[in-house]
Amino acid sequence: MAAAPSMAAAIAASMPTPQSAPTPAAPSYEAIPASMSKAIDIEADISLTSVQLDGLVVSKIIKHSREAQGANAHGLLLGLDLDGTLEVSNSFPLPHHFNEDDDKSIKGVAKYQASMLRSLKEVQADDSVVGFYQATTLGSFFSQALVETQAIHQDRLRHGGVVVVHDISQTARGNASFRAFRLTKAFLDAYKRNNFSTDSLIEHRLTFSSIVEEIPLRIRTNALMSSFIETLSSSSPSPLADGSPSTASSTAALPPSYSVLNLGGSGVTRNLEQIVEALDAYKTEEGNLGYLQRQIAREKARAETYVNKRKEENATRVAQGLAPLPEENVSRMFKIPPEPSRLESMLLLGRIGAYGKSLEETSSAGLVKMYAAKAGTAVSKTLGTTPPAEHRLEWRAKVT
Amino acid sequence: MPLGPSSSAAHIQNATPGFVSSPGRTPTSVTVHPVALFSILDHYLRRTDAQERVIGTLLGTRSDTGEIDVRSSFAVLHSETPEQVAVDMEYHHTMYELHHKVNPKEVIVGWYSTGSNLNTYSALIQNFYSQETAPHQAIHIAVDTGIVEGEKAGVRAYVSSPVGVSPKPENAVFVSIPCELLFKETERSGLDLLASASSTLSSAHPSTDLDVLERALRSVSDMLDRVLSYVRSVLAGETKGDAAIGRYLMDTLGSSGEDLEKGGFNSSLQDTLMVSYLANLVRSQAEVSSRLALTSISSS
Repeated sequence: MAAAPSMAAAIAASMPTPQSAPTPAAPSYEAIPASMSKAIDIEADISLTSVQLDGLVVSKIIKHSREAQGANAHGLLLGLDLDGTLEVSNSFPLPHHFNEDDDKSIKGVAKYQASMLRSLKEVQADDSVVGFYQATTLGSFFSQALVETQAIHQDRLRHGGVVVVHDISQTARGNASFRAFRLTKAFLDAYKRNNFSTDSLIEHRLTFSSIVEEIPLRIRTNALMSSFIETLSSSSPSPLADGSPSTASSTAALPPSYSVLNLGGSGVTRNLEQIVEALDAYKTEEGNLGYLQRQIAREKARAETYVNKRKEENATRVAQGLAPLPEENVSRMFKIPPEPSRLESMLLLGRIGAYGKSLEETSSAGLVKMYAAKAGTAVSKTLGTTPPAEHRLEWRAKVT
Repeated sequence: MPLGPSSSAAHIQNATPGFVSSPGRTPTSVTVHPVALFSILDHYLRRTDAQERVIGTLLGTRSDTGEIDVRSSFAVLHSETPEQVAVDMEYHHTMYELHHKVNPKEVIVGWYSTGSNLNTYSALIQNFYSQETAPHQAIHIAVDTGIVEGEKAGVRAYVSSPVGVSPKPENAVFVSIPCELLFKETERSGLDLLASASSTLSSAHPSTDLDVLERALRSVSDMLDRVLSYVRSVLAGETKGDAAIGRYLMDTLGSSGEDLEKGGFNSSLQDTLMVSYLANLVRSQAEVSSRLALTSISSS
């Protein structure tokens, strides 16, 4: 099995694009040799089961996210799909668009994108867009912009495209986080109808946890990069590290890191602030919704009283032998506002949930670290002489 | 690392007035961001059969003290034949403009090529890039991909100086300058991720914070075991103790846990537990609220 996909990968790589494969587009797989059936997928029949992120893309996204400051970093992913695995082999950042000249900036981005794709093609890089990436903080990535972009992609791209979410704060804590998502069918359906009223939500059974579905993601480094990383992290005198002070203890360019063991609880405060902010925003949104809801109810009540009044009047008129007044179109007389969209409130809830989850993970990891530090010092006390090597657990967890 | 013994006939000078007027200082050291390195490797993988080496442009920043930080790189088309060398300058300019839109801070600092072969063409390309980076000097990074047997993978950085009685673009001496891998601490975990992905064929991802923590603790525990066995063997007289190692161990293990003993642990524990409780509360509230939104109106 290990040989087959790599073989298939070679075939797929040698083809310009899967869409323009020269084989006739026969839906029956008997026409295609069994060994090729997984490689040639003209109609995008094989649904995506996993996403494979190349090491280059990982480092590119991390760099862009860190430099862009905040959750504004986004860019496009390029690659190919093969046998249910979406192989993302390259990416490039998109310029941060400013709101001032919307039409112009959108055109500029489109031009930039086309020009970049053309340029990449010239140097034999993959040039088919398979999705986009988005940097976030503290695990919360729901936003109107993300949902809109992904909805457009899911319409246009082969396989609907994916969004890879990179969490900056988790990465800073020592666990580089990449997750791949796509919108669920139910959400997409509701989105296409542009209907996020309560009824529609109930019909599609939508909560914030069913907006997106996660696709398993794997990280892959090609052989050349693996060997290079291996060279960098091996302790032999490497040409890259000329005995700099930071690596004095080890000559490797990539010395082992233990930043995960830092007890620092500085992120907790920020996380709590974010939760409070999101809660405030949610409260405001709920207030707006409630106001609109009441307005609808009021208008409805007025319309109903009018109809009832007219009916009573007609009844008396009929009793008196007069011709009944015509039933007027109530909806024209009373403007019942349309039911407000609950999308924003749902997304806000999703953000609150994500912040909560991130906080939970931080605190649970913090708990483990605290006990580890305690165990370390306890041992040192009993020995009386040398506490063990949990020296890196700097005692900085002053949770405020 | 000088390329060879300097001959008395050749005039080797790091900064040459007249060749390129350099108001900025001559580059003294180069730091390379992993992204630039990985881009070069990727470009090398995607070369055509006819290409022996690939070249591209390095983007980065310069500091006043002569340090150059290479932040990213992009591939540039070029062709080498025994007769001539050609670099697609138009492509180079287009790509630079595109990169400049996203990252205005990064400017052209030099160029890269794979392999350790510095020849006449290298000097010519270097001359071209010197015009691009003027008034600063261009640097050249040679990435040895390590696929040629007998050559170790590595990165070398050079600046160039003209050589000969009358300076010609195809005559230059490449002077080696120190080169290091540099990245921000926050990006470290990304490299760890790649390292773990390259050591295991298919790593299960995403891993939770606790998984990562467990791995780190295990490795600390392994190291303790190693130290312990070393100390035991020294005590038993099997190996000769090294005073330096002993001092390092003393410094490392001698950290005190005073804060812990003074009740800092308990108060922090309470805080952490409280935060954990709060986090769970927020999550369940959000879940309940989203489900309530589904039912509240349907009943009325």
